[in-house]
Amino acid sequence: MISSSPLYAKRRRRNAVTMALAYGATGLGLSWLVVILAVLVWEGVSGLSLAVFTEMTPPPGSAGGLLNPIAGSLVMTVIAVLIGTPLGILAGTYMAEYGRFDKLTTVVRFINDILLSAPSIVIGLFIYEVMVAQMGHFSGWAGAVSLAVIVVPVVVRTTEDMLLLVPDSLREAAASIGLPRSLMIQRVAYRAARAGMITGVLLAVARISGETAPLLFTALNNQFWSLNLNAPVSSLPVVIFQFALSPYKDWQSLAWTGALIITFAVLFLSIVARILAAQRKTS
Amino acid sequence: MQSGRQPVVDVALQGTGSLTVSQVDRAKVLQRLRLGDVAFRHLTRAAALLVLVILGGIIVSLIWGSLPALRAFGLSFLYEEVWNPVTEKFGAIAPIYGTVVTSLIAMLIAVPVGLFIALFLTELCPMWLRRPIGIAIELLAGIPSIIYGIWGLFVFAPFLQQHVQPFLISLFGDIPVFSTLFAGPPYGIGVFTAGLILAIMVLPFITSISRDVFEAVPPVLKEAAYGLGCTTWEVVRYVVLPYARVGVIGGIMLGLGRALGETMAVTFVIGNAHRISGSLLAPGTTISATIANEFTEAVGDLYTSALIALGLILFLITFIVLAIARLLLLRLNARVGG
Amino acid sequence: MTVAAITVPTVTHALSQDENLVEKVSVRNLDFFYGDHRALKSISVPLYHGKVTAFIGPSGCGKSTLLRVLNRMYDLYPNQRATGHVTLDNANILSPSQDLNLLRAKVGMVFQKPTPFPMTIFENIAFGIRLYEKMSKSELEDRVRHALERAALWDEVKDKLGANGLSLSGGQQQRLCIARTVAVRPEVILFDEPCSALDPISTAKIEELIDDLKDDYTIAIVTHNMQQAARVSDFTAFMYLGELVEFGETTRIFTTPNDRRTQDYITGRFG
Repeated sequence: MISSSPLYAKRRRRNAVTMALAYGATGLGLSWLVVILAVLVWEGVSGLSLAVFTEMTPPPGSAGGLLNPIAGSLVMTVIAVLIGTPLGILAGTYMAEYGRFDKLTTVVRFINDILLSAPSIVIGLFIYEVMVAQMGHFSGWAGAVSLAVIVVPVVVRTTEDMLLLVPDSLREAAASIGLPRSLMIQRVAYRAARAGMITGVLLAVARISGETAPLLFTALNNQFWSLNLNAPVSSLPVVIFQFALSPYKDWQSLAWTGALIITFAVLFLSIVARILAAQRKTS
Repeated sequence: MQSGRQPVVDVALQGTGSLTVSQVDRAKVLQRLRLGDVAFRHLTRAAALLVLVILGGIIVSLIWGSLPALRAFGLSFLYEEVWNPVTEKFGAIAPIYGTVVTSLIAMLIAVPVGLFIALFLTELCPMWLRRPIGIAIELLAGIPSIIYGIWGLFVFAPFLQQHVQPFLISLFGDIPVFSTLFAGPPYGIGVFTAGLILAIMVLPFITSISRDVFEAVPPVLKEAAYGLGCTTWEVVRYVVLPYARVGVIGGIMLGLGRALGETMAVTFVIGNAHRISGSLLAPGTTISATIANEFTEAVGDLYTSALIALGLILFLITFIVLAIARLLLLRLNARVGG
Repeated sequence: MTVAAITVPTVTHALSQDENLVEKVSVRNLDFFYGDHRALKSISVPLYHGKVTAFIGPSGCGKSTLLRVLNRMYDLYPNQRATGHVTLDNANILSPSQDLNLLRAKVGMVFQKPTPFPMTIFENIAFGIRLYEKMSKSELEDRVRHALERAALWDEVKDKLGANGLSLSGGQQQRLCIARTVAVRPEVILFDEPCSALDPISTAKIEELIDDLKDDYTIAIVTHNMQQAARVSDFTAFMYLGELVEFGETTRIFTTPNDRRTQDYITGRFG
């Protein structure tokens, strides 16, 4: 009988082992998530208070908050999105509409996908060379631009993907009433792809919220309250970097709290993006 | 020509006079819109070209910035271990070694774990649990790397130092090669720790891509194998994996590209020592960690240039890896027709 | 840029004894290519104003391709081109100098699958009107209403003009698309299998609509449903494998066709 042969037993054993490994691997992966989030909440919540959002970063040894890095991060993120999103949408539009069968589009898509995963510290170096070195000083503008360079590939990708999902029959219907191409894209195609494109922007924001490396030598850091973008500007990730590596306990505690804030902002944005994507699927 | 039949007067046609007028008006409107139409098209094309310009800009600026260092050190930059800002002698072998080894450790751990999770998600997991677990794994990918960094520094490294590393040191104490690889003292931080953290960071990428390619295997193929009496493992090993091979490799290369370029998580736990030591448990450095730690304090053009040269090397390595990954994934899409 | 000036109907065919037929669109020796593949072979056919011309034939015979030449819809895709002459009001619309948007405003199209824009019902219609004309809010509302009445949809949607166009039923969506087409004041309307995605009741309504519209427009309809062609059209063209096999008054084509192939298709020998 097959079922009692030693070969069969061996196969069944092997299967049992590998299935157990699969369960174990999943457990391992999930437990990392749980442990990291748990520690984050544990360490960060204790420092969470109104003061964090209202007071500036303190010198070591005194109490304070994270107001200037939060403000700096917000400002640079908003500017990065304002710069990067239109560029990304326009490029994605070319690839999906005018240049859909173009050689240029194939090349751009390939390069864009590489830029998507490129090390962000290299982008920081790039902006350092072209902005900071040229201007002679660090600046919030340089920080915002380096973040924008990270935003562009994300938005290009989602815009192209979403526009390609819009059925050609809709485009033809618009053309059939004599709509010029650009208006057809702006009034019909964008509207149809709107939810997906917004999702793309949200994902880009989530991505740059936690980026530290590109800011290290573009916007640098600033201990004091300053929204002057022509000078170094404080940002949450860089402050966390500085405080965490310091030997001061209160600075370290603020670093954890800052980490908690960033993580939950990122998770919140990801969840909103996911909900939008799900809504789009059902409509 | 009006029909007397319909109850409503057709606004569109009321004699040939208004026909001509409306057409002239239309022509005028379209003429006006034409400029904007053409401008928009050129604008989108320019934006697409901008993507290429960015890439070109990165390469050019990195080369430009590295020139002083490359001219000063030449090819020896790639294999010298010295890193002395005072005497202005720089060699990149320690950071390169650290980058490669940490990424290797990360892949050695993340690839099997990721594949097994993908196996679980596609074959074993009950349907209602699939999305939540999939989302949870993706959340791992969304956590910013600096979070991994401080978690690594304050939680993981001490844990490794107290419980895991002494165990490893004694475990491999007498075995020839491994005893050097896992020699003490247990610092907690170091190349091995950095590799482990990278593994956790890279895991979600490998898992999602593998899961996607596993799911794309046509059910009929799997059913045919099950029908012959294959166990789940055999179906995966002999049907799913070969079919999905190209995609899996693409996903692995993507993960590798990420690992090579990762900065913040590694900077916190690698120890920042510019040397290559035999033990994985010793501190070291990677290219990105070196740049992150030293760039703002680099005094002197040669120092800065050496750091930018490191950036150039990193960019070239990751560019090649990512290009291979994309090519593989493209070939996969072409085959599946997706 | 052409500005039409029809004032005198010119009779070019004397197929029917007691009617003055205006040839609005003339197709002469039209060839169409998908890449190297010749999909239409030397097609010559007239479209008369005030009449409905049906194009019938088995799948793949080129009838939709022919329709899409008439508003140069194929221009949106590379690798597709047309040679020959297609004149609309004495202008060759195939010439490169023809303004495409102007052409498409004159030659409207209703597609097989209803494609309302992702906007409100009101906006779907107003959109096209506003493109070309400036008018007050009340004038716009009038125009929208007229278009919806013309499409026999007004009574059903007059209370929900702010609802999304996609919330209507299939038949209603198709009538919305017809209203949208009519609203921009075309002179020719092309129907590409407009009822094939609809139920019989909606189909009947739309056939009634076409009958209603035909006096003011030049209508061409592609259909794979022969009975529909017989019901709705004044002239019928039978196409087969990219060629125009036979053209004539509908009653004659369906009772005494000249060509053997026409006869075989109509009697169902092949489909």
